[in-house]
Amino acid sequence: MQIVASKISRTFGSTRALIDVSVELHGGEIHALVGENGAGKSTLLKILGGAERPDSGSMTIDGAPYRPASLNEAVAHGVGLVFQEITINPSLTVAENILVGQLNRFSRGGLLTEKALARRAQELLDSFSAKISVRQSLSSLDLGQWKCIEIARALSTRPEAVFFDESTAFLNHREVEVVLTAMRALRDRGLAVAFVSHHLAEVGAVADRLTILKDGRKVGDFEAGELDREQIQSLMVGRDMSKGIYPERADRVDGRTALTLTNVGAGAQLAPLSLTVQQGEIVGIAGLKGAGGERLLEIVAGVERASSGEIQIGDEAGAARSPSEGWAKGVAYLPGDRSGEGVIVSASVLDNLVMAQPPRHGPWFDRARASGLATEMVDALHIKTASIKAPSSSLSGGNLQKVVLGKCLAVKPRILLLNNPTRGVDVGARLEIYRSLRESAAQGLAIVVVSEDLNELIGLSDRILVMRAGIVTARIDDPSGATEDALIRYMT
Amino acid sequence: MKLPQTEAPSSDEARPRVSRDDVRRLFPILLLVLLAAAFAFTSSRFLQFNNLMIVAQQAVVLLVAALGMTFVIIAGSIDLSVGAIVAISALLAARTAGDLGAFAVVPACLMGLLCGLVNGLVVAKGKVPSFIVTLGTMVVYRGIVLYFTRGAPVSIEDETFLNIYSGRSFSVPHSALITIGLIVVTAIVLNLTVFGREVRAIGGGERIAFLTGIKVERVKIAIFGLVGLLCGMAGLLQAARSMAATAQLGEGLELDAIAAVVVGGTPLTGGVGSIQGTILGALIITILSNGMNIVGLDPYFQNIVKGLVLVLSVFVTIDRKKIGIIK
Repeated sequence: MQIVASKISRTFGSTRALIDVSVELHGGEIHALVGENGAGKSTLLKILGGAERPDSGSMTIDGAPYRPASLNEAVAHGVGLVFQEITINPSLTVAENILVGQLNRFSRGGLLTEKALARRAQELLDSFSAKISVRQSLSSLDLGQWKCIEIARALSTRPEAVFFDESTAFLNHREVEVVLTAMRALRDRGLAVAFVSHHLAEVGAVADRLTILKDGRKVGDFEAGELDREQIQSLMVGRDMSKGIYPERADRVDGRTALTLTNVGAGAQLAPLSLTVQQGEIVGIAGLKGAGGERLLEIVAGVERASSGEIQIGDEAGAARSPSEGWAKGVAYLPGDRSGEGVIVSASVLDNLVMAQPPRHGPWFDRARASGLATEMVDALHIKTASIKAPSSSLSGGNLQKVVLGKCLAVKPRILLLNNPTRGVDVGARLEIYRSLRESAAQGLAIVVVSEDLNELIGLSDRILVMRAGIVTARIDDPSGATEDALIRYMT
Repeated sequence: MKLPQTEAPSSDEARPRVSRDDVRRLFPILLLVLLAAAFAFTSSRFLQFNNLMIVAQQAVVLLVAALGMTFVIIAGSIDLSVGAIVAISALLAARTAGDLGAFAVVPACLMGLLCGLVNGLVVAKGKVPSFIVTLGTMVVYRGIVLYFTRGAPVSIEDETFLNIYSGRSFSVPHSALITIGLIVVTAIVLNLTVFGREVRAIGGGERIAFLTGIKVERVKIAIFGLVGLLCGMAGLLQAARSMAATAQLGEGLELDAIAAVVVGGTPLTGGVGSIQGTILGALIITILSNGMNIVGLDPYFQNIVKGLVLVLSVFVTIDRKKIGIIK
């Protein structure tokens, strides 16, 4: 099958999301759409999948006109879409989740024929070697496998093309691998596969062809292997990235000790661990989800208690017993879940930025100083917002993450704890986050960063700890020579 | 290959002069004006100074309770016990007015504060949802009133007490003046203090507020204490107006207070809201009742209208973009 879209344009309000973009998708190929946040890649994919309609332009499937007015019409044309969000209902079974749209075909006299349902669901899972049994309970499966259930659901309508909209955004390494394997299996069956992703590692791993978008326009179509990662990034951002996106490491500031952990442990989740972090140092912690890095941050931040060990912050002995005590001791914490733990979307940019330690005179909120501080943070981090009074809900993901970082930096902390600081953040915003972290470190801030993005850890950290199942498996004192593969070996 | 030139995104497109947001924001005041105009048109009595003062007197108890409810709802909680706290405080005011005169305000408010703090402690420290806690204490507080009064009203005869709390100066009811004072104080607390910001932050995302170092438990206890205190005052005003405390006093007030807050545009989902909105909401509800009586609408029909107005105003003012799931 061949899907051809030509001169597609789409405008949302005053934003031109797509301008005369043409793209061709072929059966038996994986096609990546890459670009920064707001480049138009998701819009393009949604138009191809029938979830959005173009303002102008035309599409054909194998030469016949293709103008889906809805997801269902696209499905009728043999096109399936897998979304970014998890759309699994945990109170249904695996089979019910897969065939949720066609349950009436499996009913006899109003009752579900469980056997036929399970058989069909298992067929769909096996068709791309998902290694999931319909008998398993959803709670025993990880997010990558949940994504596979969604893929099976997309396949249940017998599509010839399957599109993935940032489907790996919430997944960890191992889970992403499961999804990428599924995509390869679909391609090998001759389906046309297209996907949108921030992660150039994924693009490099599976894409046969790629289309780069920037500011709603197509930059170009390329064969896999034609460009290296830096070239792709340069084209996405529109400036030379050959020097890499990570700022240069400073010559070590011979600072004082900012954080000392002595045999800090937390039951089975964290074996006793000792670590000192100097002022001006960035320490990275690598590991799969649950390996202990996040727990360690939570303990230092005062969110969770250690079951053993001593913590010393600066010269003061004693751990923070609550987040408020942590912030008071100069420990700022950027949690991993931006929307659930980081930024309050109903509050303004200003309110979020000064939330940790609002400027005050006694009980009174000092609006003037708060505005000054918020403006300072907006300028320092290049937060793109209409004004500091704008609601946070009007900001894009990358800018929201900068707001959370700004909230941390606004208190002028001694120690900054970061949990996946650039998850779902595009390259442009990443650059600015890395730069500002390096600058803050140069001024004496001690930073501990836990990240699933291993290249980020290698590029950013002065030192890396690798963890597996609560135990430190490697300490890398000079990450500049480290590779992703080397870290993964210690992680798994 | 040649890169296409990027164009500055076109901005400044013509915007509709009245946006959806404007409608949402202005609806409560529009509704109030509309109602007032309709009643004034139907009955010449409605706009008379005397009737307006009666409206003010009728509004105060609801308004004072709703001021407190605004804080609770912005913080993402609910307080179903306000009517019962009003009753218990009114009872204490009535019992002590003979001895303390005007100073009966002290035990009444302390009683309200105490009831509120109990709510807050169980909600914050016990981590029990506020709906459940206050559903329980609503029954308990009302039960205490019943136990001590045996269902019989306690009348107030102390002249100073009645003069101060339900008298008039230059035809303006004192209760209205007291309420204006409370409005100013609560508006200042909500808008100009760090505490007010913390209340909004907790309602916008309790986990986020906690991780950002806000002492969530302490703030929650303070919020419920504040509601209790305001209900103590509301109870006193109600007792003064009816010259007695009864076991049924304030029954159903919690629902009217919630309705006032919601009609004023403060969503039950928390994080946002305003005192101005609550004032409008309380006035709308009071004027609706007062006006329907004045124009002689069948009393058995009035509840139907009140309920419809509540749903209608939420239908218009709710910001559906911000609410993922409508429960």
